[in-house]
Amino acid sequence: MILLASPSQDDLFRWEQGVRGLAPVFCSTNLDSVRSELVRIKPQVLLLDHDLPKLDGPNGISGLMKLNPETKVIILSHAISDEIEWGLFRTGIRGCCRGDIEPGQLKGVVEAVQQGELWIRRTLSWHLLNELVMITQEKNKIKQAVSDLLANLTRREYEIATLVGDGESNKQIARRLDITERTVKAHLTEVFRKLDVADRLKLALIVKGSMPSRDTTRIGH
Amino acid sequence: MQTVTVAIADTDPGRRAKLEQSLQGGQGIKLLKNIILDESDAPAEHQLESHAGMTSVEEVVARISQLNPRILFINFDQSTEGDFALLGALQRECPETLVVLLTDKSAQDEQILQALANGARGCLNHEADPLYFLKAVRVVDQGEIWVTRKMLGKILDKVLH
Repeated sequence: MILLASPSQDDLFRWEQGVRGLAPVFCSTNLDSVRSELVRIKPQVLLLDHDLPKLDGPNGISGLMKLNPETKVIILSHAISDEIEWGLFRTGIRGCCRGDIEPGQLKGVVEAVQQGELWIRRTLSWHLLNELVMITQEKNKIKQAVSDLLANLTRREYEIATLVGDGESNKQIARRLDITERTVKAHLTEVFRKLDVADRLKLALIVKGSMPSRDTTRIGH
Repeated sequence: MQTVTVAIADTDPGRRAKLEQSLQGGQGIKLLKNIILDESDAPAEHQLESHAGMTSVEEVVARISQLNPRILFINFDQSTEGDFALLGALQRECPETLVVLLTDKSAQDEQILQALANGARGCLNHEADPLYFLKAVRVVDQGEIWVTRKMLGKILDKVLH
């Protein structure tokens, strides 16, 4: 199902012309109706007028998306700045286009979004990639810092920390390594001290976070 | 129109020739031919692409740094030993050089995504229409990225979740 939301009957009529062949179409002209329809019909796609009264920009759109996270939201708007548009994409919308888009073109946008594509202007796409690169760099830094910390552990301590990371109890670790539970506890106390963590849950998270991804992608000839 | 310098790192002569041919037709594109020369007379692209093997990432980066292409096409081969060290190093050492991956049908989205996360600015299939190679050069040179809309969707998913 596709939900169209705009206070303008003209826009709703034009949008409906574009998407009517794709799925059953429902219309809302105010925010309350959009909210209830999102919950009731759980549309696959929501075409949302950026100027819908009381929508309240990205916050309001985020709120709507929480009502049915499966719904793919496409914003239709008048000309908006790159910053505003990028802000909308950061809420998780899957597309943005002009409200006066031709019905035939709108159909293409909805079909693309239904297939998992992102309808974003190419001039904005670098924001997206830069953010991905930044996040990756941060993650790599954290991984490196954790890896440096883990490097301070002795082989036995690292072995025990890894088993804690796998969710094993002291008893299981003792049995597996053929040592006493008391020895496991002593090693763990030292591990906690070296890594400056207070409990085994945090230790497990650190150890898990430091594990290399199983996906090994290669670049070469 | 400002001239854009382009280098290709692909050991497959057929693919490389096709790409060179596509790019030579482009106005304002300068293909860096000397990429195939090096001190030992061995094909330099061999050096460029075999960083995981006989040539270190540092040497490859030094070579690229010397040539300083604006756009560098690199063949993306998932089966080759190595890691993203080259992309990371290029990003650090040659920030003016923008890398575009050349893929084939076997390329997995997740792996392309990882390459993009590590600094590649685009990817396109070896078998794409020659016109797209020229477009990709222009678009990436202007600071934009060259990927499919589907890949853009996956990037957004990765950024948000």
